[in-house]
Parts: sequence; C-alpha cells; structure tokens
Amino acid sequence: MLAYRYLFGQLVQRELRRKYKGSRLGVLWYLVNPLVLLGAYTLMFGHVFKVQSFPDFPIFLMVGLIVWTFFQQSLVSASESLIDQGALVRKARFPREAIPASTVTVQLITFAAILALLTPLALALRGTLHPAVLLVPVVVVFLFCFVLGCALVVAVLHAYFRDVGPILTAALLPWFFLTPIFYAPTRSLSFVRHHAWIGTVLAWVNPIAPFIESLRAILYSGHAPSWGQLLYVALAGLVALAVGLTLFRRLEGELAVVL
Amino acid sequence: MISGPQPGEVVLRHATRSFSVRADQARTLKGLVLGRRAPGPAPVPALRDVTLHISPGETVGMVGRNGAGKTSTLRVLAGIIPLQSGQALCGGRVVSLLELGAGFSRDFSGRENIYLQGALYGVTKPELDARLGRIVAFSELGEFIDVPVKTYSSGMLLRLGFSIAAHLDSDVLLIDEVLAVGDEAFQRKCLRRISEQIASGTTVVLVSHDAGAIERVCDRVVVLDAGQVAFDGPTTEGLLHYHRLMGTERGGGESLRQPGSAAVEVSDVELRDGAGRPSAVFHSGGSLALVVELRARSPLEAAQLALELRAQDGARVFRGLHRLSLGGEASAQLAFEIPDLSLLGGDYDLAVGAAKDGDEPVLERTVRFSVASAPGPEGIVDLRGSWRMLAGRTGVRP
Repeated sequence: MLAYRYLFGQLVQRELRRKYKGSRLGVLWYLVNPLVLLGAYTLMFGHVFKVQSFPDFPIFLMVGLIVWTFFQQSLVSASESLIDQGALVRKARFPREAIPASTVTVQLITFAAILALLTPLALALRGTLHPAVLLVPVVVVFLFCFVLGCALVVAVLHAYFRDVGPILTAALLPWFFLTPIFYAPTRSLSFVRHHAWIGTVLAWVNPIAPFIESLRAILYSGHAPSWGQLLYVALAGLVALAVGLTLFRRLEGELAVVL
Repeated sequence: MISGPQPGEVVLRHATRSFSVRADQARTLKGLVLGRRAPGPAPVPALRDVTLHISPGETVGMVGRNGAGKTSTLRVLAGIIPLQSGQALCGGRVVSLLELGAGFSRDFSGRENIYLQGALYGVTKPELDARLGRIVAFSELGEFIDVPVKTYSSGMLLRLGFSIAAHLDSDVLLIDEVLAVGDEAFQRKCLRRISEQIASGTTVVLVSHDAGAIERVCDRVVVLDAGQVAFDGPTTEGLLHYHRLMGTERGGGESLRQPGSAAVEVSDVELRDGAGRPSAVFHSGGSLALVVELRARSPLEAAQLALELRAQDGARVFRGLHRLSLGGEASAQLAFEIPDLSLLGGDYDLAVGAAKDGDEPVLERTVRFSVASAPGPEGIVDLRGSWRMLAGRTGVRP
C-alpha cells in the first residue's frame, strides 16, 4: 500500500491541474468559484428570502456552505472518476480506491483552504476564540472520512450502474434545502416552532447536518459542540468509511470489465 | 496455498472466466431494482479450465486464432480482471502492455505519463527519475515527449508504452499484439529489448500473430483454442500446431475472381502431403501435391494451366505455364507434384488458373500453405548449394 503513495500524489496533482490547466490563475480558480457562490447565497438567503435572522449572516452561512460544497462536489466528481480514469484501471493492478480518494482529496484541499481563511475571520468578527477551536481539525478529519466513504460508494456504483450519477444529482438538490445551511433547525424557524420533531429530524437524520452544526458551534457561536454531536460526527465518519471501503472492495474486481 | 509465487513465476490453475456480451454494457440501477433484465446472448467463455505453469525466466509465446482467449489470459495474469473460478498467481512486479491507450492520461505530456505509469506499478519518483533518460531515448519520440499524448499516433503510443514497460525492471512482462503497430525498425528494436530483458531473468509472455517474432524470442509456445490450451511445448512444434489449426479452418482455395463464362475453369483445389492427406503445413525437403479439379463447358482435347507461387510479402517465387492433354474429357482431376520442396519456413500462396488450349489462363483459385520453420537456412528458397575449398594458402596476409 505504501508503495502507491506516489501514485496517489500523482493523481491528486494531476486532478488539481487538469481542471484549470492553461488558465493563468491556475489553482486560484478553485477558491474563486466557492467564493462567488458564497456571495450569491449571502444575497439570496440573507436579504431576499430571509428565513431567520442571524448577526454576521455571511459567516453563519459560509460555515454550512463550505461543508456542503465539499460534500456535494466530492460526490459528483467521484461518481465520474472511475470512468474518467478507465484507461488506468485497464492498465495495472493498483489499489483502485486511489482514484476516488484523489478526487475527494482535491476537494478537501479547496475546503481546507477556505476554512483556513474563514477561521481567523470568524474568530475575529464574532469574538469566538475558545479552546474548542482545537476541535476543528478533529471534525474535519471525520468529515473527510464520511465524505470519502460516501464517495467510494457512489464511484463504484456509478461504474456499474450508469444512472447513479443522475440520481445523485437529483437527490442532492432537495438535500441541499433540507440541510441546515442557511437556517438553523431551532425554534426560531416558524415550522419548527409548531412541530418540534421537524427540528430534531433536520438536525439528526441528515448525516451531514451534525458536521455543519459542530463547526458552526465552534466558529460562529464560540462554544464546543455537544457530546452527542461529536459522537455522531465520529460514528458517521467511521461507519461511512467502513461501509464505503467494504462495498468498494467487493465490487472493484470487475471494474476493468465494466469500464 | 502455503507460500506465494516466487518473483517471475506465473501460475494458472483451472482458470475459468467468461464475459457477458450484452449490447447494453452499462446496466442501470433502475433495471436492477425493477428486475428488468432483457434476455441477452449467453456469456461467452474466454478461459475454460486453463492450467499453466511458467517458471521464472521462461519466455512463452502465446498463439491462437482471434477470440481464443490470449488477451484474456494476459489480463488475468496482470491482475486486471478476476477469475470466476481457479487461481491466477504472478510473482513480483508484473508489467503489461495490453492495450495501446491504456495507462495514459490523454491531456498530459508523454513525460508526465511516464511518471504516472511508473506510479501505477508502484515505482517511486527517484527510481523513475533515474530511468527517464533511457525511456525517452528508447522511444525515439524526441521533442514529442513534451506534447500531450492525445496528439500521438498509434505508433507513437506504442513507442512510449513499450519504452515504459520495458524499463521498469519487471519480474514478469506481458505483451499483447500491440507490437504489430510499430514500424519494422521499432519492432526489431522491441524484440531486441525483450531478449535483453530475458537475459536479465525476466519472465516474458508474448502474444503475437507474427510467428517469426515468437520464434526469435520464445523457447516455449502455448496454443490456445476456444479458451483451452491446445498445445504447450517447444516453439517449433507449437508453431506447427498453430499453423495446422489455422490451415484446417482455411479449407480449400478461394476464388479471387468472379465466376466467368470461360470454356474451362478450376472448380476445386487441394494441397496434399506425401502420404496423400490434405494438409496446409509442409516441411522443407518433403513432398507437396496440388490437386486440381477442372471443369469444361464442353469436352476438351487440351488445356493450358498457369501456376503461380507467391511468398508472404507478395514476391513472386515461381510462375509456370503448362499444356495438358485432357483426351476429350469434360472434367478432370489433375495433380502438380513437387517431390522435394525447396521452400524455407514461412507462409505461401499458390494460385492456379486454366484456359482452353491457345488462350492465356488467368489465376482463379488460391490456396495458402505454411512451410514449417526449421533451424538452418533462412529466406524463401533453399539453394541447396554447398561450399568447397578450391585453393588454400598458408600464412597471414601482409
């Protein structure tokens, strides 16, 4: 496995360069796109369709948005990754996980870069410097495990069943609105006030929500996430990764035949 | 299994594998959930209970007709596709050259692809840095090495692919028919490089339709037929077996021209060996008989027969015109007998044509046959001459 570290590095580097090769700003485009998206969402959900009011709304929104973007972009790019790299799969016997893992890693690099910009900004603007900030890397590690696990499932399934990609794209859109990105699943939401269980469902059934809530607790609210949230985050990450790896390894054998 | 294979060892035990050949290769989740699996053709077996053992350092040529399972065997050995039952073991670093475009990122330059392919086999950057110069030099790609691979011709892809595969210090090297894409000079260079690899102890499995290439490189030949090992043994015998396999399928001669309204025509041709059995493989020095069926529109006193022999590259080896008395028959069986064949190893086309006496016959039917290669003289015709000394002089020249 260690012998393939270089291969993994090559795949990541290649993926980073392939997307924006030939453009002068190069890798910077990786940061520009999410930032433009953030501006648009701030305008939409902070001013036009205002659901709840939060002070420093852009920071509130950005924490959720970068986690979601990381999750969504990783799944979408991972689903096509094995087909894109079919020429490599048909060439040699190397750990095939390296291919979807490299696309997720590329997304992680973008995510980490924006998070690194956001963290000092949030701490300064919100005055939320708190020892809990040390938990940020922990949450990020489990988030990576969770996204990687999901990406492995999506990648290998899409290689066998070519309608997985479109189904995924269709599922991600409602999922975005059900995820507490531009709102918090608390009593300040009008429908949660009347039906408290909706808030519980929004916060706990959606596996991506606790990741957002945890990071938001630390960066936006300035307190540690609850034990329940931390436990959920750790379990979700490990379970997703275990399921993803198991499924991937069971199905990877025929990849060279189906691609 | 108690211990793994040693580096360079190749083992197939009762290897079995078939492929689904459904037109809609890409299945859908919807189809799976709804259980709607349209009935398609049955899976095609590619390997049927193949057992093979290749010791480290051996060189094996694999031959067989198209679809006999040669490429599938290599892909199984390379670990690219799994077996349905049986066992495939390949010791050490297994490097393969199976498909021209495989392992290349089209948008990246040849140089970048060298690093990527090396990485696919677990080779590290320092090792690749050390080999880069040799790989680039061997490929003769020159400045094209820094051009995206998508602009390469198939010959260039082969040059780069082979150069990489041949310089990764593999324990097992698997090469499919791709070499045929290269020009003659590069093919020779490839074979030379392969023999260097063999000399350094690499196990080589070479699939090719070029019997000459297999003969030059391999000590052993495996003939595959319909997914099974039809022959496994020394090269000369193996190639003979292969030619026989191909010959039986070829059958009688095929007509090259539209059936005309000629007064007389060749209706059938067949080649027979010394014992009078139909054959497609002959030996230098052995006997060969061409049996021809003639059919005339009306009884004929005499006919003209043309006979032409061409070598594989199209060179005319022989052309002769013979006049034959038919004695007023409307059809006849004739034989052209060669008691002591002076042809050397290779494939040949023998064409025959007939016309009524006085007309120029056109060649109507062709049969292909092979002459088994044997150690000794090479070329088309055995001159059967010998050297003798006419005069000698002692001492050295000034």
